[in-house]
Amino acid sequence: MSITRRLFVSGLAITAVLPTVRAARAQGKGLIAIITPSHDNPFFKAEAVGAEARARELGYETLVLVHDDDPNKQSEMFDTAIARGAVAIICDNAGADASVAPVRRAKEAGIPSFLIDREIKESGIAISQIVSNNYQGAQLGAEEFVALMGEEGPYVELLGREADTNAGIRSAGYHDIIDQYPDLQMVAQQSANWSQTEGYEKMETILQANPGIKGVICGNDTMAMGAWAALEAAGRTDVIVVGFDGSNDVRDSILAGGIKATVLQPAYRQAQLAVEQADEYLRTGSTGQPEKQLMDCVLITPDNAARLETFALADAS
Amino acid sequence: MRQAILSGALVCVLLPAAACKIVPNPDPNDQSEALASQTDEARMAAYADANWETKVLPVIAEHRVEYDIWRQALSQGLDAAGEAHGLRPEGEANPWNFVVSGTGTVTEAKLDSRAAKMQVDMDGDGAADVVLQLGPIIRGTAMRDAMPFVVFTDFRDQIEFAKLARAMNERASDGLTRPEGDVMGHTVSFTGVFTLRAAGDTPEVVPVEIEMGAAP
Repeated sequence: MSITRRLFVSGLAITAVLPTVRAARAQGKGLIAIITPSHDNPFFKAEAVGAEARARELGYETLVLVHDDDPNKQSEMFDTAIARGAVAIICDNAGADASVAPVRRAKEAGIPSFLIDREIKESGIAISQIVSNNYQGAQLGAEEFVALMGEEGPYVELLGREADTNAGIRSAGYHDIIDQYPDLQMVAQQSANWSQTEGYEKMETILQANPGIKGVICGNDTMAMGAWAALEAAGRTDVIVVGFDGSNDVRDSILAGGIKATVLQPAYRQAQLAVEQADEYLRTGSTGQPEKQLMDCVLITPDNAARLETFALADAS
Repeated sequence: MRQAILSGALVCVLLPAAACKIVPNPDPNDQSEALASQTDEARMAAYADANWETKVLPVIAEHRVEYDIWRQALSQGLDAAGEAHGLRPEGEANPWNFVVSGTGTVTEAKLDSRAAKMQVDMDGDGAADVVLQLGPIIRGTAMRDAMPFVVFTDFRDQIEFAKLARAMNERASDGLTRPEGDVMGHTVSFTGVFTLRAAGDTPEVVPVEIEMGAAP
């Protein structure tokens, strides 16, 4: 009886403070906050769209926020989600170390977090961490790169943002394969911070210093797009470029004979899966899955590029 | 010089305050404190070593299936073979891993490479049915992913987890007596682990045991 009363009272308090959320909860199963990096990169947009669509299908309200890879901004967004009484948070985080604290804060406020794409440095505070098998994917990309290079020649590696585990793991996967071939020489290795603009600028500079390069392997597709634009501008469309992500932009470039290959991360499905696990957890108290889960990546070449759409590969028919 | 030492000392005094960071206490029950100072490679190599005899080999002994029986199961489809004989981590879209032993004939060999390999005909038609990866560089993560006691959540991140895969591959390769010379046409018996993503793929076996047989 007293519990009911207390619930009623706190329900009143919530009603007073947060009328909008109260209204939303009355109709559905609650609010799911979806926090990702900037939608300028279509990869993150696909995540947000995928998560939002699935959440709505399952009867949740959604709050879509963008942290722009700024840990402070992300921290504020977690506070917003907590204040708005979210029932779950879906997040592609802004740094493996920096994200531990806000995820813990949400946990302490009783809000489970479901992380996608990027891990955090601790387990036991998020309910799920679903990430692409970047190591497996990078090895796929590297094998294709080696074959395209004919196992020899000078090449360049464009790395992602250093604070991001995915930058390191992809590079490790690339080198576990490429370094087996002594005739492949890396003449430059620089971070372009996942950015198309930086990819363009870095490629321009590297090309001036190393006009003899034969290939460029990139930690993601936006950098590959930037590198390819710089190579095109320099009249160097003979250079082999391989990316990672499986964006529609790179798909179109592959089909037009530009960039040679990329590795698809099932970002759309991954985001949906995170929402499904959130729903399962909220209904039953368990996702039935281990916290950290890997999803395999798929090599994209001219053979299957046409089946790629918004980070999902349609079945061959 | 003195200035350098002084400012060095100053930095030492100031740094702890500036770089104040909360880290979890190390678990006193294991050697994590000593292990923390090691590189990922060294730590994962030690992990692979420590668990090899006690955990890895027993999993292999328990789940080993004869090649012919495995082939038969596979004719019912990859998932059927997986349900019957396979191992895989939990989670969506994880491929099956198998532990298979068998005897075949070497049809092709590349032994002078860092990624040494032998192609083996298992059914006597002259065409290779499996590839034995002799290493020391071995492709894939089958050795790691076939082990039910290895759970991704227990590892810091994908980087550490990838180093574990590599350490287990290297441990497997280290334990082999690598064949030398001309092995074409020789018989070879093996027990090994592989990942199969599609029923039509050629198994790229990571052997834990090989024994070369008679010359042709």
